Amino acid sequence: MIENDALKELIRAELPDAEIGVFDRTGTMDHFNLTVRSQTFKGKTLIEQHQLVYGALKGALKDGRVHAVELKTIVVEH
Amino acid sequence: MSHDLKEEIAREIAANKILVYGKGTKTAPRCGFTLETIQFFDNFGYPFEVVDVLENVAKREALSEMTNWPTLPKVFINGAFFGDTDILGPMAENGDLQTKLEEAFGGPAPSAKQTINLR
Repeated sequence: MIENDALKELIRAELPDAEIGVFDRTGTMDHFNLTVRSQTFKGKTLIEQHQLVYGALKGALKDGRVHAVELKTIVVEH
Repeated sequence: MSHDLKEEIAREIAANKILVYGKGTKTAPRCGFTLETIQFFDNFGYPFEVVDVLENVAKREALSEMTNWPTLPKVFINGAFFGDTDILGPMAENGDLQTKLEEAFGGPAPSAKQTINLR
């Protein structure tokens, strides 16, 4: 279980420019829909973009604060 | 990471053109995302295998380390890692996935459905 703001902070620690949309899918604060926009995604494959976000959430996924994520990444061009 | 586990995973990936590591089995998925992935590939009509790693913590960790991807399911096509349906969905929309699968299987699927429902 994690607060939306804490989740966003984890992502911004890796991707400081990220604009993040969070939706709690189940009302249990551990299954999320995430939309992340960042310039860092530029020139990266979709898998690499997701790996960047998952890298930021690694600890929270491992200790169970986050159980499941449906992720959408959007490249910010400028 | 144990050498045996690494070999086991390499063997499984080599033996299946579409391989899904998930929670539960094809007939009894135990996670919504695993079910979604099974339905996703059912629509394509190519054979695929699901390996249940829900209870196998060591193997899950080995897989996460290999792919730099902490969540399940994890999909491999023709030996390459393709993440999950968040990656495969957009690839199916722009046709890349169909091309990839035809390459892997050497032709169109025998039982492909006309319409593909992505979500």
